[in-house]
Amino acid sequence: MEWIILILVVLVVGWLMIIYNRLVALRQTCGQAWSDVEVQLKQRHDLIPNLVETVKGYASHEKETLERVIAARNAAVSAHSPEEAGRAEGALTGMLRQVFALSESYPDLKANQNFLRLQAELSDIENKIAAARRFFNSAVAEFNAAIQQIPAVFFAASLGFTPRAFFELPEDQRAAVQSAPQVKF
Amino acid sequence: MLPTLGLRTHIWNNFLKSGLLLAGFPVLLLAVTFAVLLLFQGSGKGLGADMAAAAEALPVAFPVALLVSAAWFGIAWLGYQPIINAVTGARPVTREEEPRLWNLLENLCISRGLRMPRLAVIETPERNAFASGLSRETGQVTVTRGLMDALTDQELEAVLAHELTHIRNGDARLGVIAAVFAGIISLVAEVVFRGLRGARISGGNSNRGRGGGAAVLIALAILAVAWLLAVVLRFALSRNREFLADAGAVELTANPDAMISALRKVEGRSNMPAVPSQIQAMLLDWPQGAQGFNLWATHPSIDSRVQALVSVAGGRDPGPILDTRPEPEPPAEAPHAQAPRRATGSPWWRGPAAG
Repeated sequence: MEWIILILVVLVVGWLMIIYNRLVALRQTCGQAWSDVEVQLKQRHDLIPNLVETVKGYASHEKETLERVIAARNAAVSAHSPEEAGRAEGALTGMLRQVFALSESYPDLKANQNFLRLQAELSDIENKIAAARRFFNSAVAEFNAAIQQIPAVFFAASLGFTPRAFFELPEDQRAAVQSAPQVKF
Repeated sequence: MLPTLGLRTHIWNNFLKSGLLLAGFPVLLLAVTFAVLLLFQGSGKGLGADMAAAAEALPVAFPVALLVSAAWFGIAWLGYQPIINAVTGARPVTREEEPRLWNLLENLCISRGLRMPRLAVIETPERNAFASGLSRETGQVTVTRGLMDALTDQELEAVLAHELTHIRNGDARLGVIAAVFAGIISLVAEVVFRGLRGARISGGNSNRGRGGGAAVLIALAILAVAWLLAVVLRFALSRNREFLADAGAVELTANPDAMISALRKVEGRSNMPAVPSQIQAMLLDWPQGAQGFNLWATHPSIDSRVQALVSVAGGRDPGPILDTRPEPEPPAEAPHAQAPRRATGSPWWRGPAAG
């Protein structure tokens, strides 16, 4: 009789350990996926001062727009959680679109090699952000589903496994991140 | 997307086969060593004495053979990628050299949180690709210049996803192990057969009695079996792997149409005769591998792969793409223009059978 109880206890403890380890692994994946996103976001932020400098040389009286770009960029740099980053990145994408639209009225700027290179690099990075975002959001979805399953749902919250937020971009900006910014000639 | 039925089993089978190949190697090596020893007996005292002498020498010779093959495996382990690149003419490329190819693969890897394999290009107008690598984490994806030029971004992405799936499923590893394994056996067999022919010509057979002849025959039989095994090893890679990799590519890219049109563009233009036979088994498509006896095929036909994609992944098949020269020709692309061209057997109609 004691043996049976002992075996049952071992089985239950083992089962709980497996579930706990799975949650830890999923949380780890979320963290890793988020740092992948941040790597791409940082590259994007690093390009923007360069872009502003280049545009300034050709379109100095667009100062106001450029200052707003820098402000949006700084806000994006200081955003850390996925929700904050989603809002800040969305705003930044909107500002960048304005800058590229602005280049329409400055033919010299549009022909500048440096500007074209930055534009290509930014659109490339936006593709990468979209890819990293997909991976992060699927990792979060898996983690959130796992902590809501029985029996994890009974102890996950008390062990610090709380639902994570998705990295979402505002609806109207999403198209811009998923497809490269189009400059019409 | 479809959960690629039987994928886990496939990965497990690949793992098992890789293990069996590595474990079975010493056994096969023992047989080959015995055969070579038997060849050198030929004492004329009868078959039994020859066999006994060969068996006696085995404890000395076998460790030597084991060392030699360990060295072979060691070299292959460290240098298989440069060796494969050298025999196929592939050149590793950087991000700066091939930004389009690089970005497509990098984005695929980022969206699945994978480490990016290395990339290499073979400068040939033929259209093909293959993956190689000993670990499921890293590896190398090689594509031909012809493939890169002919395919659109979506199609190229589908092919890269196909090769990435080969690496993830362990097909690339099994292919490399089988190639290394088959390489040493066919090397030994070839050396022995050549040496034997040389001995015959110089009249070396005259001092051997009847027993010696029988011993030589048995040795040759063992070697022939080993050599045959090496040839058959290329079929260690199951043909299912291509269907599974196609399905995996669709799962990664969510675009069955791109995979189908990529296959249709590769069809009949994938012939790479310069590539050694063991690597042929690893290619995206291998025309000779898909025809003739089903038993001997290393690749399923493009038609059957497209059929599978249409029925399982819901893609649309544009039918065989006969003429896709890079420059667009609007009049020739019209659908009604293609039928008569095919019927008259113009040089542009090259099915796999012609390749």
